[in-house]
Amino acid sequence: MTIDIPVLETKRLVLRGPEAKDYPNFKSTFASYRARFMGGPLNDYETWMLYAAEIGHWQIRGFGMWMIHDKETDKPLGMAGGWKPAKWPEPELAWIIWPETAGRGYALEATDAVRKYLYNTLGWETAVSYLDPKNLDSIRLAERLGAKKDPQAATVDGHDVVYRHPSPAQLKDTQISHGIAMEIANYADPLFKPKGFALD
Amino acid sequence: MSLSLNIPTVETERLILREMRESDLDVIAEFFESDRSHFVGGPKSRGESWRVISGVLGHWLLRGYGMWLVEERVSGQPVGGVGHLNPEGWDEPELGWHLYTGHEGKGYAYEAALAAREYGARHFGLTAPISYIDPANTRSKALAERLGARFEREGEVLGHACHVYRYPETEGAR
Repeated sequence: MTIDIPVLETKRLVLRGPEAKDYPNFKSTFASYRARFMGGPLNDYETWMLYAAEIGHWQIRGFGMWMIHDKETDKPLGMAGGWKPAKWPEPELAWIIWPETAGRGYALEATDAVRKYLYNTLGWETAVSYLDPKNLDSIRLAERLGAKKDPQAATVDGHDVVYRHPSPAQLKDTQISHGIAMEIANYADPLFKPKGFALD
Repeated sequence: MSLSLNIPTVETERLILREMRESDLDVIAEFFESDRSHFVGGPKSRGESWRVISGVLGHWLLRGYGMWLVEERVSGQPVGGVGHLNPEGWDEPELGWHLYTGHEGKGYAYEAALAAREYGARHFGLTAPISYIDPANTRSKALAERLGARFEREGEVLGHACHVYRYPETEGAR
């Protein structure tokens, strides 16, 4: 029995299934305060079992969370993928970026590629993200992806807000998708490159 | 990329040890919602039970061994779980088992654990594993002793005091 996990490549990133060697990075984030919006911080056992469950999710659902790596250095940067454990009302587009790599547009680049895969290859017709209302970085990312708060949608446990992503049709050659592509391109190759220090 | 998940099937006279599946969720959730699970980390909600199944599958991939679902050969019904556990927080690989409601008293736990023990020694190199047993779980202690294990020491797992039973060294890979 094998689990086939496709490899996704973007301009700066390569997304692969979770492997044993990526566990230390996963653990350092999920054992930390950074994981407070994802049920953490977790103890050793809980962290390890969650990592094992990330792999088992692929086996059960045929999709799951990828580990995001820098294409050149292979450094693990975070995770992104489709997530639907029991009790989730709908399949979710989910992500987490390791703290030291935040702020460089990696999450946007990874989630954009993941969403395209979920829509174009797996045939999802819609996707939601369940976010903690205090998780402003993730809410901001959902909005950059064109997702909008969906007050009608069922939540996981009543403590989360549901953001609904644009449908495949709403992303096909539209201003939203052009904007995302431009933002990603600008992170990879900034239009404005400061040459010195700000004086003010 | 493919990750290979090699979960072997082991057959005994009355039982089949096979991989856990999502379709086993009803019976696993029922077990973990019941008091019967309080010696093995329960009670747990249905959502947590789903994560048990996915975690058990991932355990096989990360460690190369793990827990099987025990199926009754004649009925195809899931009757329990058995196998080797070694997540973070464990000192070393453990042989563990549990039976779902209504399947006790038929010798199934013994039959399944014996098969898992032999398979683990032969194929996973787990020739002298331990079992962590809650000090109050007299039935599991009796089963461990019947399988040849002896009390080794007082131990602790995930902050819970427990008794560590050790199986005698058996012949490994041939």
